Amino acid sequence: VTLTDPIIYVRAVHFGATLMAAGIVFFIVFVGAPSFRAGDDKHACSALRRQLSLIALLSLTVTVISGAAWLVLTAASISDQPPTQVFSGGVAWTVLSQTSFGWDWMVRLLLACLLAVTFVPLLSGRDTMLLTGTAAVMLAATLAGTLAWAGHAAGGLGAEGIIHPAADFLHLIAAVAWVGTLIPLALLLGAVGGNAGSLAIARTATLRFSTLGLVSVTTLLVTGSINTWYLAGSVPALVGTPYGQLLLAKVALFFGMVAIAALNRLRFTPRLVHSASKTEARNALRQLRRNAAIEMLAGAAIICIVAVLGTEPPASHAHQHASYEALPPDAAFIHIHSEQGMADVTITPGHPGMARATIRLWNENFEPLVAREVTFALTVPAAGSTPVKRFASQDSDGAWKVDGVELSQPGNWMVTVGAVLGPSTRLVLEAPIVIEPSDQ
Amino acid sequence: MRTFPTIVALFAIAVGASTARAHAFLENADPLVGSTVSAAPREVSLTFTQNLEPAFSSVTVTDANGAQVSQGKAQIGGNTMRVRLKALAPGSYKVHWHALSVDTHTTEGNFTFHVGGR
Repeated sequence: VTLTDPIIYVRAVHFGATLMAAGIVFFIVFVGAPSFRAGDDKHACSALRRQLSLIALLSLTVTVISGAAWLVLTAASISDQPPTQVFSGGVAWTVLSQTSFGWDWMVRLLLACLLAVTFVPLLSGRDTMLLTGTAAVMLAATLAGTLAWAGHAAGGLGAEGIIHPAADFLHLIAAVAWVGTLIPLALLLGAVGGNAGSLAIARTATLRFSTLGLVSVTTLLVTGSINTWYLAGSVPALVGTPYGQLLLAKVALFFGMVAIAALNRLRFTPRLVHSASKTEARNALRQLRRNAAIEMLAGAAIICIVAVLGTEPPASHAHQHASYEALPPDAAFIHIHSEQGMADVTITPGHPGMARATIRLWNENFEPLVAREVTFALTVPAAGSTPVKRFASQDSDGAWKVDGVELSQPGNWMVTVGAVLGPSTRLVLEAPIVIEPSDQ
Repeated sequence: MRTFPTIVALFAIAVGASTARAHAFLENADPLVGSTVSAAPREVSLTFTQNLEPAFSSVTVTDANGAQVSQGKAQIGGNTMRVRLKALAPGSYKVHWHALSVDTHTTEGNFTFHVGGR
């Protein structure tokens, strides 16, 4: 994980701002407006509306600016040019007009502009809610959901190419409905005073938020599982790669948030709603506010993890990086994986006789790993045998080769690759490789 | 909260190892990577694990002296990339590909194939 990459921070800001802007729309339509009608505290209502309008407009502006920064950094990374030159060279325009990422970005810019238009009636509080509300929710949901096509979900083929982005689309909308509505909820709970009309607002808001949360959590669980399946793929990949470990941290935070939400729903919400004593209701209100703050912190941490995850190679390809089908059918092949680096070892032909071994070294980001010296050893599948060690020579294409490797018998041979990476850094990778019996 | 990884792990076991891929990697090649073909191929065809962005993906083929033997720009559609070749004499040829996946990540690689007995 390289935390110096600016795209991580741009992604975090963009995700956060999108969730915030869309979350306020969801909150006003599904929670805020019905609560204001249920209670009677004109002063608190109008103060809250003003606050939310300001945050929503600010968030939408930050969404557009960070989106532009994301485009510039992506164009720079695609074209291998410094970010300052992507406009003069026309690369930014090519990315925008000729790639699916660019088309997604243009659609999202349009959605952001349309959403800004709906903000005027929505946030002013004139109750033309049904039409404006529906339009605003649709626009906000699509603005967040279309982020799916800017990430790993976009790459799949066949059924995966439909299911994965669809799951991601719903996942993002569900995240808006929960994480994005936490800040407005906390503001509402903080704005209402102690009188009866005010408590009625807090009660309706909490109940409605609780229902919205339940739907969101269910959606997040289902779609998150689908995404995990596609991007992690296996348990070793989940536990043994930086991508998988970050994903597990995200899942742990998510369940922590679910635990707090369950506590809110089962204990504090009933106390706030049913309690006859005003003091007890106010205490429950304070607890709910504190828990919303804790959930917000967890949500912010999740957004930061997501920002990093999108730049990491997904765990699933760690074990699929090598392309078995592109190799000649008689080659023996093994991909050896460790945290320090990995090696693709090909032995051609992969049956008894004289063969050539080719070794390619990669770092954890699948960039070629530079080695000063590479040794290659094979151990015959017999008890007490000692490995035959050879030095590999480097080809012009970067691969290390050993010619004239003698394979005396078929079976499970042991491959040991030793690479000198620096004065005191040595990488040793070991794995079995299958040598098939000769056909004729 | 030990149960979280367990739940995820159980789920992952239940669905088994998936066939998921991310980033465009070479899945299949014609001619095959490192292979020796008896007749000179007319084109090199590459299949990737993800769909490609035609505007930012390319393939070139060079001979042992580094002279380009591929003709024109690669034809790119979906997850395949193909490029026409000049008439090839027996010898070693290097294929260098550069792929931009629709998920905005670039990958590149190269391999050799040989024409004629060796």
